[in-house]
Amino acid sequence: MEELLKIKDLHVEYRAGGTVAKAVNGLSLTIHKGEALGLVGESGAGKTTTALATLRLLMDQVGFVTGGDILFHGGSMLEKREKEMVDIRGKSIAMVFANPLTSLNPLFTVGHQIAMGIQKHSKVSKQEAQEQAAGLLAQVGIPESRMKDYPHQFSGGMRQRVGIAAAMACSPELLIADEPTTALDVTIQAQILELMKNLQKEYDTSLLMITHNLGIIAEMCQRVAIMYAGEIVEIGPVQEVFENPVHRYTAGLLSAIPSLTGEQERLESIPGLVANAQKLPEGCKFHPRCTRRTERCRTETPPLMEAGGGHYAACWKLEAI
Amino acid sequence: MSKLESAPLLQVQNLKKYFDIQDKGKLHAVDDISFDIKPNETLGLVGESGCGKSTVGNVLSKLLPETGGEILFEGRSLTRANKKEMESLRQKIQMIFQDPYSSLNPKKSVYSILAQPYKLYHMASGKALDHKVRELAEMVGLEEYVLEKFPHELDGGKRQLTGIARALALDPRFIVCDEPVSALDVSVQATIINLLIDMQKQHGYSYLFISHDLSVVRHISNRVAVMYLGQIVEIAETAEIFGNTLHPYSVALLSAVPKIEFGQKTQRIVLTGDVPSPMNPKPGCRFAARCWMARDNCRQDTPVLETAQPGHRVACHYWKEMLQNRQVATQTA
Repeated sequence: MEELLKIKDLHVEYRAGGTVAKAVNGLSLTIHKGEALGLVGESGAGKTTTALATLRLLMDQVGFVTGGDILFHGGSMLEKREKEMVDIRGKSIAMVFANPLTSLNPLFTVGHQIAMGIQKHSKVSKQEAQEQAAGLLAQVGIPESRMKDYPHQFSGGMRQRVGIAAAMACSPELLIADEPTTALDVTIQAQILELMKNLQKEYDTSLLMITHNLGIIAEMCQRVAIMYAGEIVEIGPVQEVFENPVHRYTAGLLSAIPSLTGEQERLESIPGLVANAQKLPEGCKFHPRCTRRTERCRTETPPLMEAGGGHYAACWKLEAI
Repeated sequence: MSKLESAPLLQVQNLKKYFDIQDKGKLHAVDDISFDIKPNETLGLVGESGCGKSTVGNVLSKLLPETGGEILFEGRSLTRANKKEMESLRQKIQMIFQDPYSSLNPKKSVYSILAQPYKLYHMASGKALDHKVRELAEMVGLEEYVLEKFPHELDGGKRQLTGIARALALDPRFIVCDEPVSALDVSVQATIINLLIDMQKQHGYSYLFISHDLSVVRHISNRVAVMYLGQIVEIAETAEIFGNTLHPYSVALLSAVPKIEFGQKTQRIVLTGDVPSPMNPKPGCRFAARCWMARDNCRQDTPVLETAQPGHRVACHYWKEMLQNRQVATQTA
């Protein structure tokens, strides 16, 4: 499969007021053409930072890429000029955000916003852009009559559908969806996921799905990457990772969620707190919370090692097998 | 299950809560609902945003006055209670909120937040108060050092533990838990859920557990009520409602949840449209506009809760059809 996006050993820091927070610490992952990859982790794991770094949207003077590279079609994103990035954003790589009310411009009608994106990236007349925008909105189930409405006039689910229509406007090769349904009710979430699945199939778009909801990953993605303290601790085919997790953190996440169908067992909570990005532990960053840590885990950081069948985990336990 | 057969602790009868909206009419947030909760029981209340589930919690804890209906707590009327009676009732009815950040006073330390209930009810002072506060913190698993902190210095989990400790201070009988884990990461969520279950076992609390997360509700509840637009459309014991769902809305809600389990994928029912407005509702079934089973009479005749099985009530004209279809489906499978 063709490699579309390749992130290599990415490091990102946030610097403010004399403190440094290491948000991403040597993350590597590849997204292939047409693939849906899930990125899972708790608040502060570095999921969104990874997405923003990919699009070079880290906040100026605060967020810095301090190492590694991000290759899109083999070309480095970090070396591109801002003008080139403007062409890539929205056209080749588009993003859907968690809160569509803050990511849509409140001052423009939804039809206008989508048409604006189309005109920016392709040489079409205003008229044509308007027509294409109407077509996109129709595809996400919003009637043409609402083209001239403003974002605040829509319900949450409809707003997110507008956000998706805007993201799909230039048929991007990669769609980054950052918690696209977190603010929505389950029945509306089901609508949005169904819609994203269909659009992904129709346009052969690759998907980077960022979420803390493991159920969404199971339904939408072929592979999943589990993030902890700015690193990928486990990555592989979704079913394989969920049914045979290797890393203690992955296993902990899975047994912390109550089941909707199985037996009701006591939930397992992961002891301790999420690693502090300003004071990361030595060695394996998860070791202070791990129930099977050894001396080695305190000092040496485990690399991702293959557990078989494209399933990798960063745990010294794998070396012992 | 003998504990569930005892007399109800809380009885809610035909409860209504309408909000007057200027120039628009009445918003029927809670429209004629009835249920009861027994001692040591957890009733899960599920539904989507705007269905009225939080309003039910707010009315039961008397944070909002009801528009109509009756609430009996230990056989005494909450709706007709005078100020003095309310004071003693408030000790027994407590609330845990979704967002502990906005429900804890930012200017007070955790210690003084936890001391407040004892002071208000003149239950302890001096050394005895200090002892009670520390005992309470320990009970919910808050470390000593946390007591000196202010809410903004705590992570979400510790903040919610503080909110829970405050609710438990006066040893209440009934606790309204309004989305207590929705704002938390899963590993912290598990800690809070386990604590709520343990506390119930030790102290015999009753919970009204309001949540939109069906797997959490299934985990913690003895019985579950499904709300849609201000009304209860289905109520039954947990295993029954998840195994033998009879209302089309409950079926759709359940099928909409993304599942981790692989293999047997059930058919997903994707509802079209959004939840309609609860302003001035028309007669007929409120779910009819989005229901794939709806027929003409659904838009005229309002269905009432009927008993389908002992303890399982459903408000749908066609629940028997749903039951038959399921029986046929399982037989052919």
